[in-house]
Amino acid sequence: MPVAASAIYFLNLRGDVLINRLYRDDVGGNMVDAFRVHIMQTKELGTCPVRHIGGCSFFYMRISNVYIVIVVSSNANVACAFKFVVEAVALFKSYFGGAFDEDAIRNNFVLIYELLDEIMDFGYPQNLSPEILKLYITQEGVRSPFSSKPTDKPVPNATLQVTGAVGWRREGLVYKKNEVFLDIVESVNLLMSSKGSVLRCDVTGKILMKCFLSGMPDLKLGLNDKIGLEKESQIKSRPTKSGKTIELDDVTFHQCVNLTRFNSEKTVSFVPPDGEFELMKYRITEGVNLPFRVLPTIKELGRTRMEVNVKVKSVFGAKMFALGVVIKIPVPKQTAKTSFQVTSGRAKYNAAIDCLVWKIRKFPGQTEPTMSAEVELISTMAEKKSWTRPPIQMEFQVPMFTASGLRVRFLKVWEKSGYNTVEWVRYITKAGSYEIRC
Amino acid sequence: MALSGMRGLSVFISDVRNCQNKDQERLRVDKELGNIRTRFKNEKGLSPYEKKKYVWKMLYIFMLGYDVDFGHMEAVSLISAPKYPEKQVGYIVTSCLLNENHDFLRLAINTVRNDIIGRNETFQCLALTMVGNIGGRDFAESLAPDVQKLLISSSCRPLVRKKAALCLLRLFRKNPDVVNVDGWVDRMAQLLDERDLGVLTSSMSLLVALVSNNHEAYWSCLPKCVKTLERLARNQDIPQEYTYYGIPSPWLQVKTMRALQYFPTIEDPNTRRSLFEVLQRILMGTDVVKNVNKNNASHAVLFEALALVMHLDAEKEMMSQCVALLGKFIAVREPNIRYLGLENMTRMLLVTDVQDIIKRHQAQIITSLKDPDISIRRRALDLLYGMCDITNAKDIVEELLQYLSTAEFAMREELSLKAAILAEKFAPDLSWYVDVILQLIDKAGDFVSDDIWFRVVQFVTNNEDLQPYAAAKAREYLDKPAIHETMVKVSAYLLGEFGHLLARRPGCSPKELFSIIHEKLPTVLSSTIPILLSTYAKILMHTQPPDPELQNQIWGIFNKYESCIDAEIQQRAVEYHALSRKGASLMDILAEMPKFPERQSALIKKAEDTEVDTAEQSAIKLRAQQQMSSALVVTDQRPANGTPSGIQLSLVKVPSMSINEDQNMAEQGLSHENGILSKVDPQTPSADLLGDLLGPLAIEGPPGTDVQSQQNIVSGLENVPNTVEAAAIVPVEEQTNSVQIGIKAEWRAHQGRVVLFLGNKNTSPLVSVHAIILPPSHLKIELSLVPDTIPPRAQVQCPLEVVNLRPSRDVAVLDFSYKFGNNMVNAKLRLPAVLNKFLHPISVSGDEFFPQWRSLSGPPLKLQEVVRGVRPMPLLDMANLFNSFRLMVSPGLDPNPNNLVASTTYYSESTRPMLCLIRIETDPADRTQLRMTVASGDPTLTFELKEFIKEQLVSIPTALRSPMAATPAPPIPQPTSPAAALTDPGAMLAGLL
Repeated sequence: MPVAASAIYFLNLRGDVLINRLYRDDVGGNMVDAFRVHIMQTKELGTCPVRHIGGCSFFYMRISNVYIVIVVSSNANVACAFKFVVEAVALFKSYFGGAFDEDAIRNNFVLIYELLDEIMDFGYPQNLSPEILKLYITQEGVRSPFSSKPTDKPVPNATLQVTGAVGWRREGLVYKKNEVFLDIVESVNLLMSSKGSVLRCDVTGKILMKCFLSGMPDLKLGLNDKIGLEKESQIKSRPTKSGKTIELDDVTFHQCVNLTRFNSEKTVSFVPPDGEFELMKYRITEGVNLPFRVLPTIKELGRTRMEVNVKVKSVFGAKMFALGVVIKIPVPKQTAKTSFQVTSGRAKYNAAIDCLVWKIRKFPGQTEPTMSAEVELISTMAEKKSWTRPPIQMEFQVPMFTASGLRVRFLKVWEKSGYNTVEWVRYITKAGSYEIRC
Repeated sequence: MALSGMRGLSVFISDVRNCQNKDQERLRVDKELGNIRTRFKNEKGLSPYEKKKYVWKMLYIFMLGYDVDFGHMEAVSLISAPKYPEKQVGYIVTSCLLNENHDFLRLAINTVRNDIIGRNETFQCLALTMVGNIGGRDFAESLAPDVQKLLISSSCRPLVRKKAALCLLRLFRKNPDVVNVDGWVDRMAQLLDERDLGVLTSSMSLLVALVSNNHEAYWSCLPKCVKTLERLARNQDIPQEYTYYGIPSPWLQVKTMRALQYFPTIEDPNTRRSLFEVLQRILMGTDVVKNVNKNNASHAVLFEALALVMHLDAEKEMMSQCVALLGKFIAVREPNIRYLGLENMTRMLLVTDVQDIIKRHQAQIITSLKDPDISIRRRALDLLYGMCDITNAKDIVEELLQYLSTAEFAMREELSLKAAILAEKFAPDLSWYVDVILQLIDKAGDFVSDDIWFRVVQFVTNNEDLQPYAAAKAREYLDKPAIHETMVKVSAYLLGEFGHLLARRPGCSPKELFSIIHEKLPTVLSSTIPILLSTYAKILMHTQPPDPELQNQIWGIFNKYESCIDAEIQQRAVEYHALSRKGASLMDILAEMPKFPERQSALIKKAEDTEVDTAEQSAIKLRAQQQMSSALVVTDQRPANGTPSGIQLSLVKVPSMSINEDQNMAEQGLSHENGILSKVDPQTPSADLLGDLLGPLAIEGPPGTDVQSQQNIVSGLENVPNTVEAAAIVPVEEQTNSVQIGIKAEWRAHQGRVVLFLGNKNTSPLVSVHAIILPPSHLKIELSLVPDTIPPRAQVQCPLEVVNLRPSRDVAVLDFSYKFGNNMVNAKLRLPAVLNKFLHPISVSGDEFFPQWRSLSGPPLKLQEVVRGVRPMPLLDMANLFNSFRLMVSPGLDPNPNNLVASTTYYSESTRPMLCLIRIETDPADRTQLRMTVASGDPTLTFELKEFIKEQLVSIPTALRSPMAATPAPPIPQPTSPAAALTDPGAMLAGLL
């Protein structure tokens, strides 16, 4: 396995080192100065996450107001390095309970050092799972061995688990009520031309899971995806039930999913870690159900007036409704006055982003509210550059709707003790970059 | 300011200040801009107060760096508001937001004019300030008369007139025509009679600008200036508020003296006398006091007075008084004053016959060289450099050398350069010069540029008496335990050249010399090794009778370096090794270096280059620059006219000379014709000094010996013509003020290798250099990478590979562009890859010729044409011309003596060599026409060759005819008409480009 990092630095936006850890001695301690001079202080910051300066490679990433920089001098595995950073940040967040930023780092120096020691060894990533690390890297005081009370020895437990067959789950968990929560979260990306034809459309989805199950349960998940269904019909030698099947692209699973069984039987079976985790991610490019249609008409009347008419049509079921719908219609920078007429929600002009913002809190299915606005522009000195007409952007959330049409067919739980479980399934579709040219 | 009342504005400003980062600030500003737009668009209109408030906000946003492109109308309209608060905002914001090119300003002109001619003084001042700040041509044209009226009117208060004077000054700078009014000179003179010092100061500023532009018109103002100066100096009638620490208006004094410096001389004896009295008073009356401000003011006056004294070339007495004063200054402890003293003394040096007086202070100046302040040390160094002459050179140089070992690194290079120049310029005897330079190298080797030691070598080579002494000195230095690399170079060179002169001295036998030099070999860089190798070769040559032991030792070293990775070292080792086995001929080839041609010291040139001082508009400086530039011209002409140059010595560079010289002549002619004194220096540029100096070492011996170099590039010159002009400089040589492009080409069969030399003659690098070849379809040209930048005074080489595919007369064009300063310069140059480069002359006998001639019958293989308008020439010349095109003329083949028959072979990649036959039938009665028959095995070739010859026959520049007859000159198709090409060098140049 190639090295992922020789050193890791956490820098604030000014370029001061908050914390650093050298894993190998092939990079000097001052290499971060090169980063500061050649990357942070130039315009290239943020354009290219991998840079090679003076024989060293710099991989960097900005998370809120912190730059995380990995320095390597040998031929490293870049993907591994970035994955390591992402996972490490997730780990820190779960330790800090929320935000990861400059202040959080300053408040948790000792803990971070301890974690950095643990999650990477001589440049090779180690276990980054928060559940396991929390077993033996704790923020509480450790009881002295000389104390009178016998300790419950968590540490040998931890090593056993890390080296065991199921590294992500502790043995001997007991819950009074055995519950599984399954969330399918999808975000729709769309780019539509002004004529209404779809230029680019895809859905990225993930299945999030929260498990409160006793013992070592074995779970099996069935979706209405194409390969799974076809395999099933093969085995059972009966034709697929009529109904929609979904073709999933780019599926990635959590490490707990048994891949050999997936490859042979095309079923998703796994022993889940305790608590919350992301079971799988997928992408869909074909057969996307768009939740909204936007029909804009924007007319420029002379140099100082514009007329904007936008009709939004919800095309999901009438019983469903969308929440937090925001439609942003760009207007020229020299907008001076606006007046609106809306059939639902409220609209206003936001000068800071140069957009008309129309907000509808609750948007039922199969309806089509409209907004019409009159925009007055101020005349400027400079000869007006023709307005570029940026696309209309939209934000929304539609619960119990999947743009891909994905459904959970079953979720089976087996455990030696044979307890009953309660399964909860939720669906939600959000807007990713949902843009309509006008 | 009325800001206190505007809550919205102060809230906005504090909001912006409280923003954590740029993004937040931008959001806040955009929001505010949206608000302002809405307000301005409001139909009901805004109250004057509101308008003012939003315009202030707009100005604040503009000052934060955001683009505010609306609302100019509101700002301009505020100007016409009746009340002061609004009007003030209008004027301030307009002068900030708008510049002279905005159309909106036109709208304001009328309002501004009304304010200026109005009665209200405050409004007048506001308007004048605004006009002064942004006044462009439009304002100057429409408002200048009004401003002038204000300036000279007696009814206005001084406040307004002051502003009017300054406003007029600004307008004058934009548009000098504003003062071209009848009688303005008289009015200006009247203005100088003004009693109010404020108005007078402003008017004097105006006068300084006017006089600097055209001093002749303002003669009448001169006595008034002197009178003003008198009034000030005598402290007559000066109100209390115009004195500064007891000095009567120092600003006005300085300005007046500055104005006086623009007049060349003062003829009127009375005026002159009174002026000198005043100056005398200033010179005498100034002293160093405790108070810093007072010191500053009084010294400003004093130094301006000094400048004026220098300008006026006052009597010697006064000068010596000045110098005495300065001498007092440089002895003061206060560093500012000392600095000024030294600086002014340096300036003083430009005036004749004060040098001796300055020399009295030499000891003091030398003390300043040890001052803790580096800028003072620099001044002192400059001054010492400037005041040095033959009498004190020894002392000063010794002092500099002493100082060198303690000087900080930033100064050492300059110091060593200056010491070297002084030593060269004012050496009382040459051995002293050698001593100094060797000491210099010893003490500050790292800072001694190559130029310095090259110069020593040149000196020693050119002065025979000096040679033994220099060699002995070098030998002494070699005994020292640790010596600098440069010292190794110079002593190795000197001992190699002149070591044999010391042979009788103890410790200087060839063997001992060799061993002491060879000791240094392991410690030196690879750039020094070639010099050491040359030294060994020379020692070997000088050892008579040969010492077999030494010989074996040296051969052993050569042997070792024959496989060195450094090409230069390897080449030398191989060549010397081979040469040293030749015995007697070694003596010839490695004989002592010939004398170097006398030339301007590269060092002095270098020093001149660095002396680009901040140009101050003072008259003294101006004059000094004129002197300097005329000096430059004189020194430049000498080397430009002396054609024998270092080039001829360096065999490697340019072997065939005659064309090159003609080229140089032609170029000199060109540059003089064009009236540009661009320096066409036939010598190699200074960056090439090393090659210049060491070139002869690489391959030595007079041209024509059978020395065969490694790469076989240079074979003996014209005796083997078929390697085709080993490396002739062809007429594609472009030389502008900044770039020099040279070409070296070598042709063999259908291939050619061309090397472009791109030389940067500037002191700054050329950037964005692009060279693209636009090859015609019949050539395949590969250009190696051209570097994006060419460093200052450097030359880069770009090899080109040319392959001929088909016959064609099209010419490849080099599209060359670079950026110099901010200008993009582009030049298109034709490359000399023309048809006849791929010809190879072949002689045929009659037996071979006629069967071929007959077998190629009729078009398209055989073409005949009658060519008219041929430049008349004797048949012999034409034969020479043909030979120079590589068409071999076979005399006697054709029975008719008026006919010519020539043959050649043509090479291209696709075909085998093809025989081409040409027959020219001339008419002895009419030489302007002839009949030409061309035959070859390929129809295209026949046609192209025929056209090519035709072109050449029709347009042959006579200027090139004689050299052409002697040497194979590669001609370039000349698209210009022959007559123009003959007479007009500019057209010739155009033809080349």
